[in-house]
Amino acid sequence: MSFIDILRAEFRLEYNDMFRRKSVLLMLILYPYLFTLFTLFIGYAGGSPGVFIEKFGLNPIVYLITSSYILMSILASIDVLLWRPLYDSENGTLIYIISSPVNRLKYYIALPFPRYTELILMGATSILPVYMYYYGLEGVLLSLLMITLITAGCVVMVPFAIFIAGVCHRVGESWRIINIVRPIVMILMGVYYPRFYIPLIGYVIGSLIPSSFIVEIIQRTLLRLESNTYLLLAVAFTLFFLYLPASAWSIKAWEAKKVKEGVKIS
Amino acid sequence: MSRAIEVEKITKTYRVKSRRGLFKSSVEFVEAVKGISFTANYGSIVCLLGPNGAGKTTTIKILATLLLPDSGSARVAGYDVVEEASKVRENIGLMLTVEKGFYGKLNGRENLEYFAALYGLPRSIALKRIDHLVKLLELDKLGADRKLYEEFSLGMKARLSLARALLKDAPILLLDEPTLGLDPPSARKIRELVRDMAHRENKSILYTTHNMFEAEIVCDRILLINKGVIVAEGSPEELKDKIPKLKVINLVIKASGDPGKPLERFTFRKEIKQEENSVFNVKMYVPKPEEVLGEIVKALVNSGHEVVNVRVEEPSLEDVFIYYSEGSI
Repeated sequence: MSFIDILRAEFRLEYNDMFRRKSVLLMLILYPYLFTLFTLFIGYAGGSPGVFIEKFGLNPIVYLITSSYILMSILASIDVLLWRPLYDSENGTLIYIISSPVNRLKYYIALPFPRYTELILMGATSILPVYMYYYGLEGVLLSLLMITLITAGCVVMVPFAIFIAGVCHRVGESWRIINIVRPIVMILMGVYYPRFYIPLIGYVIGSLIPSSFIVEIIQRTLLRLESNTYLLLAVAFTLFFLYLPASAWSIKAWEAKKVKEGVKIS
Repeated sequence: MSRAIEVEKITKTYRVKSRRGLFKSSVEFVEAVKGISFTANYGSIVCLLGPNGAGKTTTIKILATLLLPDSGSARVAGYDVVEEASKVRENIGLMLTVEKGFYGKLNGRENLEYFAALYGLPRSIALKRIDHLVKLLELDKLGADRKLYEEFSLGMKARLSLARALLKDAPILLLDEPTLGLDPPSARKIRELVRDMAHRENKSILYTTHNMFEAEIVCDRILLINKGVIVAEGSPEELKDKIPKLKVINLVIKASGDPGKPLERFTFRKEIKQEENSVFNVKMYVPKPEEVLGEIVKALVNSGHEVVNVRVEEPSLEDVFIYYSEGSI
C-alpha cells in the first residue's frame, strides 16, 4: 500500500472540498487578518503600539500577523487529526476506514499534508504582503523563510498530534476534550507569548511539543535575538521521530477500544 | 478450499447506559447475539433474515472486524476475525449503510478512487475497476459518476455503496440490508447483481434483510434469526416444508361490524387486518381447509358480512418466519 496513493487521495478530498465549498477558501484567506485585528483591538485597549515596539523592537502588526499565521497553520494541522475521526464517524465513513486494510500510521500521517499546501498559500496572502510593506524586497525573503519554518513546524507536529488525537478519542465525547486540549497546546507552544518569557515550568512542558522549538526559532528571528537555530531544529525533528511509536500505539489503542465497543454505523 | 465464513457460538452483549436525572444513571445489558453458529460457502448467498433488533447487523459487524464478540469464534476466508483482523479486511467487501458513508463534496467516481487508495489498489488497476463498476451498476447512466455525492438519490447512493463493496474484488461480500428504502428498479438491479456475483464469480455473500420476498428470491440459504438466536435454517423451500402441513385460507371481507366475532369459535390461528374502511383481510392457518372453509364462509355471511374473495394458499416465507419466531401458527 503506497503512501503516495493515500496522499494523492487525501489531496483530492481536501482540495475538492475546499474549491467546492467557497466559504472554506474565503476563511482560509481572511482568518490570519481576523485574528490580527482582534488581537490588535485588545492590544490597543491596553496600551499603544509604541510600547510594544519599545519593548520588543518590532512592529506589533508584523508580530501578530506572523503569530496568527503560525497559530492557524500548526493548529490547523492538529485540528485535521483531532476532528477528522469525529467527522468520519458522523459521515458514516469511519466504518469503511476501520474495515479497510490501510496502514493506519501511513494514513494518519498523510491526513494533514494537503492542509499544509493550503497553509503555504495562506502564507502568500497573509505574511507576504505585510512583510513586503514593512521590509520591501527583504520581506519577500523573510516571508519565504517563515513559510518554510512554519511548514517544518507543521510536519514535526504530526506524530504528536496523532498521539494526542488517539488519547482524546479514547474518552467519551472526545470533542469536549479536544476543545480543552487545543488552547492548552496553543499557550504551551508560545505562539502569542514567546515561551522563553514564560515561567520555567511552562517552558519545560512546552518543550514536549515539537513545534514549540520551531516557533521559538521564528520568534527569535523576528525579534532579532540570538538563536541556536540548528540545535532547536534538531530537537524538533528528534521529537518527531520519538513520537512516532507513541502515535502508532495511540491509534492502535483507540481503534481497539472502538472495536470493543462496536464501531457505530452513523 | 475452506469455507468462506465459519461462525461458532458467538455471543455479544451490549452495555447500554441510560441517564436517570442529573447525576444518576443505570446500566442495562442487551444480549444482541446469543451463541449463533453457521457457515457459508463460496458461490452461494446466505441470508440472515429477521426483524429489526434480531442481531443481523451485530453479526455482520463482528465478521467485518468492527466489533469484538464476547465469546465464540468466527473465521472469514480462513482468518480469525479477532486475531487476524487485517487479513480478514483484505478479503471482504462491505456494505453497511445505504444512505451515508461517502464524502459529499466528491462525485461518485472520486469517492470510489478515494476508497480504492485505502484498499491498497494500484492506481491503474483501480481506475479500470472503477470504469467497470460504473458501467456494471449503471452509475454512468444515472450521472452518478460525475454528480456530487450530496446530490445523490437513495438509489444512486445504494449503487455506489455496492460499487465500493465490489471495488477490490474480494471473495467475500458482507451486505447489510442493501436494498433498504430503495425504489423497485434499484432494488431489482442490486438483487440481480448480487446473484450474479455469487453464482458467476464464485463469491460468498452474507446478505441481511427483513424482507421475506427478497430473501426468497435472492438467497440460496436462509438463516432465520430472532432475538439473537438462529431459529431455523435451510433453503426457502426446505424452510416451508419444515413447518407442520398447514394451509392458509385467505379471505377478503366487506364487513358490517367486527368480522372477528363470528370467527371466534374457530380455534385456528388467525390474523385480521383492516385494508380499507369496511374491507378486511383475514388469514387463517388450518390443516384441512376443505373441512372448515364452508363453515367459515357461512358463519361470516350469517353475521351480515360479505365475502368478496376466498383463496387457499401454501404458507409463505412470512408464515414460516412467524411460525419459528412465535412457536406456532
